[in-house]
Amino acid sequence: MSDSVLEVRGISKRFAGHVAVTDLSLRVPKGAVYGLLGPNGAGKTTSIRMIMNITIPDEGTVRLFGDDLGGRHHSARIGYLPEERGLYKKMKVRDMLVFLAEAKGVARSRAARKADEWLARLGLAEWGLRKVEELSKGMQQKVQFIGTMLHEPELLILDEPFAGLDPINAQVLKDIIVQLARAGTTIIFSTHQMEVAEKICDHVCIIARGRKVLDGGLAEVKREHGGTHVAVAFEDAALAGQAMRAISDLVASADDSGMSAELRLVEGADPQEVLKRLMQLQVRLRRFERIEPSLHRIFLDKAGPGAIDAERQEVAHA
Amino acid sequence: MHKVWAVIRREFIERVRSKWFLVATVLGPVFMITVAVLPSLLATRGGKVSNIAIATSAGGSLADRIRTSLSRSSRFNVELVTAAEDQMLGVTDSLASLVRSEALDGYLALTGATIDAGTAEYRGRNVSSLRDMAILEAAVRQGVVVERLNRRGVDPSVVQEAQARINLRTQRISKKGPGGESGEATFFLGYGVGLVLYMTILLYGINVMRSVIEEKQTRIIEVLVSSLRPFQLMMGKVVGVGAVGLFQFGIWTAVGYLFMHNRVAILTRFHVPADAISAFQPPAISGELLGVTIAYFLLGYLLYSALFAVVGASVNTESEAQQAQQPVMMLLVFSLIFSFSAMTDPTGSLARTLSLVPFSAPIIMPVRVATSDVLRSQIALSLGITLASSVLVVWGAARVYRIGILMYGKRPSIKELIRWARQS
Repeated sequence: MSDSVLEVRGISKRFAGHVAVTDLSLRVPKGAVYGLLGPNGAGKTTSIRMIMNITIPDEGTVRLFGDDLGGRHHSARIGYLPEERGLYKKMKVRDMLVFLAEAKGVARSRAARKADEWLARLGLAEWGLRKVEELSKGMQQKVQFIGTMLHEPELLILDEPFAGLDPINAQVLKDIIVQLARAGTTIIFSTHQMEVAEKICDHVCIIARGRKVLDGGLAEVKREHGGTHVAVAFEDAALAGQAMRAISDLVASADDSGMSAELRLVEGADPQEVLKRLMQLQVRLRRFERIEPSLHRIFLDKAGPGAIDAERQEVAHA
Repeated sequence: MHKVWAVIRREFIERVRSKWFLVATVLGPVFMITVAVLPSLLATRGGKVSNIAIATSAGGSLADRIRTSLSRSSRFNVELVTAAEDQMLGVTDSLASLVRSEALDGYLALTGATIDAGTAEYRGRNVSSLRDMAILEAAVRQGVVVERLNRRGVDPSVVQEAQARINLRTQRISKKGPGGESGEATFFLGYGVGLVLYMTILLYGINVMRSVIEEKQTRIIEVLVSSLRPFQLMMGKVVGVGAVGLFQFGIWTAVGYLFMHNRVAILTRFHVPADAISAFQPPAISGELLGVTIAYFLLGYLLYSALFAVVGASVNTESEAQQAQQPVMMLLVFSLIFSFSAMTDPTGSLARTLSLVPFSAPIIMPVRVATSDVLRSQIALSLGITLASSVLVVWGAARVYRIGILMYGKRPSIKELIRWARQS
């Protein structure tokens, strides 16, 4: 398809002793903000490395920008932030950025101009002539992001971009991602932080134990997850437990956080009935809302411990 | 190509800018001169005047003669002790205790057997000074010869004449006819060429290795291989670091040339006496030798830096590299060791063979060229073999490098390295 930036078909990768990724297929439309979600060790990094053609898949194909020439061929159009960050410690910040852009094929003078622009934009203008090792960790991370985006790629692939960021830098990065997405850049990023993904992704793919669990547009995924979901918040923690017990026969599963809970009701149960029982108990509520399931809930249902048990039972029955 | 240039430029500029480069450029020649000059300086200057005694039961004239010639060397202070044959043991015992209490440095015992059978004994604390022992032996030998001739009734004036000192001057004859350089200068030239090549190849090879390890350790390698092919990256690195080496060679050659041309003015300014200046005749470095040295530096560096790149790619840390680099270092060290035998016998079969083996040729062949005349055809053959092997090694190294740079954890065995090289 001409409007997909990335198309992965049935890639698998085995390492000595274990299978990292099995038969993964996905499609990233142009302009999407695509979240690759999964718990630690799910195979996200291996998948991204195969997409970048750093690791060669044992099976399957990766098509970038409509052809199979590989990530290195298109490297000028791609910005890649690996999971393991690193810079030349002894180099001056500006020289380092210019070199990274040159390695992508950007002309030297243009790279220098862009580096100055970005350094100024992220408040690092006066650090350009310092050595990388003199910068704080947060500043080094910013420099690394600049290195990823300096050559104005059409596609950004970020492996766990928010890992290890303090809230301020996480916000800076999120703002940049949103800006670039609005300007038409396609962004693929991996994370296990569902709240972040929920805020900025329009497409998601959840993988667990090397397999795709589900993928699609965020709204679509939520709709298809089905069920009736209710969010409640209590004013009094003492009565909350009593209230949860009173409605337990109507609840299929609950993400109970004590003072609040996200409930998935049993098939056919009416949220109105839940509210009625709570009123009878005279529990004071801060919130009662019929909601779409959160990505966190979907993720737990699909890739959490419950899903693993269900899968095991299926395997046992088969 | 633009991308490879970026890598080359980065490697070159970052190195030339560093303090390390300045230190190596300045201290390199200082170190070389020290290594070349210091041993001979120590050997000639070292030591002090030794106080020794000569205990003799063989009559005074032999001991006198030996004392005279030893005093002439101005390295010995000699005292004579005459004793009867049966008292010798007691005398030497008391001399030995004087040596132990450091009142004496040693003693020479002469007996009747010295003249008849040529046996004498020296005991002292300084027996390992080769030069002193050589002087001592020569003095005893000369004394014995004269004594024997005297006994046979040879005319003392004939004996005097027979003792004429011989001063053998050595001079190398090259294709261009007898050159100005002496045998000693030729030896030092060969020694210098071998050492410079060994040190620069090692230095820059290890630089390549460090650079690979740095990229692996800082994990920047993953960003780089997403833009560049591993082969481009490796070659950019090898060429960039090699260019630093050539640049340094250039500086050394230029400074050396300027010094040689203006040495009279420079040395005079440092108040070096005029006769010392004229005695300081530098070995003539021919254009051929310079060309051969640079060519073999490039090939040797290419060969060894590719091997060092493999070492760097197969380890995780510098400390692991210390061990993993040993086999590669050994190849270089052996080449240097064998270059000494090539210096003494530059046309021998060992030197000829080793100058065709690709791993030793980069050091042995230039040493041979420095110390003898090597046929152009032999140089061409050796260059060809080394070039072909270098290309082969670079090709294999690139294949191992490609996989090694993304591998972390356990160090691979040689077997695994070979498997990596075979993988498509």
